[in-house]
Amino acid sequence: MCLTGISGQMWANRSRVPSGTPMMELRCWGGDWGLPSVHPECLVVLAYARFAGAPLKVTPIDYTWASPKGTVPLLTSAGEDISQPANILNFLRKQKYNADYVLSAKEGSDTLAYIALLEEKLLPAVLHTFWVDTDNYCSVTRPWYASRTPFPLNYYLPGRMSRDALNRILVTKGQPPLYCLTEVEAQLYKDAKECLNLISNRLGTAQYFFGSTPTSLDAFVFGFLAPLYKAHLPKVNLQQHLKQLSNLCHFCDHILSTYFVSDDAGTSAAGQEAIDANLQKLTQLVNKESNLIEKMDDNLRRSPQNRPQKLSTLKPGGGAENTLSH
Amino acid sequence: MSLVTDAFVSQIAAVEPWPENAALYQPLKSEQVLLSDNASCLAVQAFLKMCNLPVQVVCRANAEYMSPSGKVPFIHVGNQVISELGPIVQFVKAKGHSLSDGLDEVQRAEMKAYMELVNNMLLTAELYIQWCDEATLEEITQPRYSFPYSWPLNYFLVFQRKWEIKRKMKAIGWATKTLEQVFEDVDQCCQALSQRLGTQPYFFNKQPTELDALVFGHLFTILTTQLTNDELQEKVKNYSNLIAFCRRIEQHYFEDHDSSISSSTKLSKGPTLP
Repeated sequence: MCLTGISGQMWANRSRVPSGTPMMELRCWGGDWGLPSVHPECLVVLAYARFAGAPLKVTPIDYTWASPKGTVPLLTSAGEDISQPANILNFLRKQKYNADYVLSAKEGSDTLAYIALLEEKLLPAVLHTFWVDTDNYCSVTRPWYASRTPFPLNYYLPGRMSRDALNRILVTKGQPPLYCLTEVEAQLYKDAKECLNLISNRLGTAQYFFGSTPTSLDAFVFGFLAPLYKAHLPKVNLQQHLKQLSNLCHFCDHILSTYFVSDDAGTSAAGQEAIDANLQKLTQLVNKESNLIEKMDDNLRRSPQNRPQKLSTLKPGGGAENTLSH
Repeated sequence: MSLVTDAFVSQIAAVEPWPENAALYQPLKSEQVLLSDNASCLAVQAFLKMCNLPVQVVCRANAEYMSPSGKVPFIHVGNQVISELGPIVQFVKAKGHSLSDGLDEVQRAEMKAYMELVNNMLLTAELYIQWCDEATLEEITQPRYSFPYSWPLNYFLVFQRKWEIKRKMKAIGWATKTLEQVFEDVDQCCQALSQRLGTQPYFFNKQPTELDALVFGHLFTILTTQLTNDELQEKVKNYSNLIAFCRRIEQHYFEDHDSSISSSTKLSKGPTLP
């Protein structure tokens, strides 16, 4: 196992140094409720970056006006601004931080389809829960966002976000010309609960959606579900339904404890955080490498010239040699 | 539709068998219907044919305003009027006809996910091309959409609809996309569908489901509609298995009527029809 670890580290160094990736800075809403960020789309990007081992400098924003178009999350790399989670994920993939390379073509298609399902069926209800429902908005969402926004903006920004959310729900789900919210609400929550059930069925008892490593779909599901799961809301309609689906709750807890350990303590020292992140990245790489070695071992064992070799035990040392020779 | 009426409708629906005089209403085919509406209408027609439920197609210039949800198509069955594919699937299921009963939980989740992918990408792209691309709007959408109306209503209605669609595009973040990016999205969606379909005859192997009806409705419409340029068609034509898929459903359900009856009777599990 020790050899594998070293080769993993070497590989990490080799892959990171020559690519010479410029500093990537992510602006996103800060964390609370035991989450690294309370904003679903920021959480998607943060989770994906951790899964792929991308070194991001995370800046929790206070001034949304400081980012060019006021959009969050926003990734800045070499003077280039990238907004929207899907674009950011694509950018990270191009920078060789790819959490999806284990997926087959069909699994890649499934990822796209399930993300569409989440956006069409679950997101409207999540937006409604946090931004439109009066009780939740007044006692949780508005105070939280207002307290992280500087003086004149704190009166304006949460209201604008709430209006945007309401507008999105009405325009996409309402019926023109009279966009009426009460008609839409019941259907919205019905769809969302059905969507949660479907996702819960799809996940089953597995740890992640596609095998043993997390991919972009896991990042999206985690990002959309975790705030709903962790927030302390006065109106718990959708939250209660989610808490009954124990596998989805486990899924969120597991990702939080595996990938976001250091963030639990709130704003810990930046250095400690970086070390933790590096360690996690390293363990991940080692895991990936040992997977690869296992596969190669399998292949070798199947090939005819290696028949006489011992078949019963898996020797990581031999595996490492094989990887080097290839 | 509220939940109470939903439950009420399905209860009533379960009692009555499928009547012979069921009708499907849609806009005028040659002069009026737009790409996205035609796709939705074709999807519902294909779905009903797959269920082996006879329906008479009625073209009306004011179908959009007759529909309870303001969207075409809608079906008139007995005392009920139901619009759009999702509610129609539910209604037909309440009557005892379902295409997705044979699927397990995971497959059902997959089916719903791919249906949302089609709605999220293909349908939105069709709306974008129709209403946000100036050339298409001027040459095709405006004259066709305003076909039944005279001045000044023709200008007003087109303006109103265009404004609604633009508002929607803005809300979902498509307003800043260029036409090229939209075509790229269509390509991505087709690639996903093509990979999911693979070499199977239908998305869930031998038995067609509502997903097949929806995909057929959209792809067949895109393949057979002449727009200002062929770029949209070309995106779909890159995937030979999708073309074969459309051809297969067309032949099976829309051309050769005898074989469609004999094979669909095997699928319907509900009460046999008169």
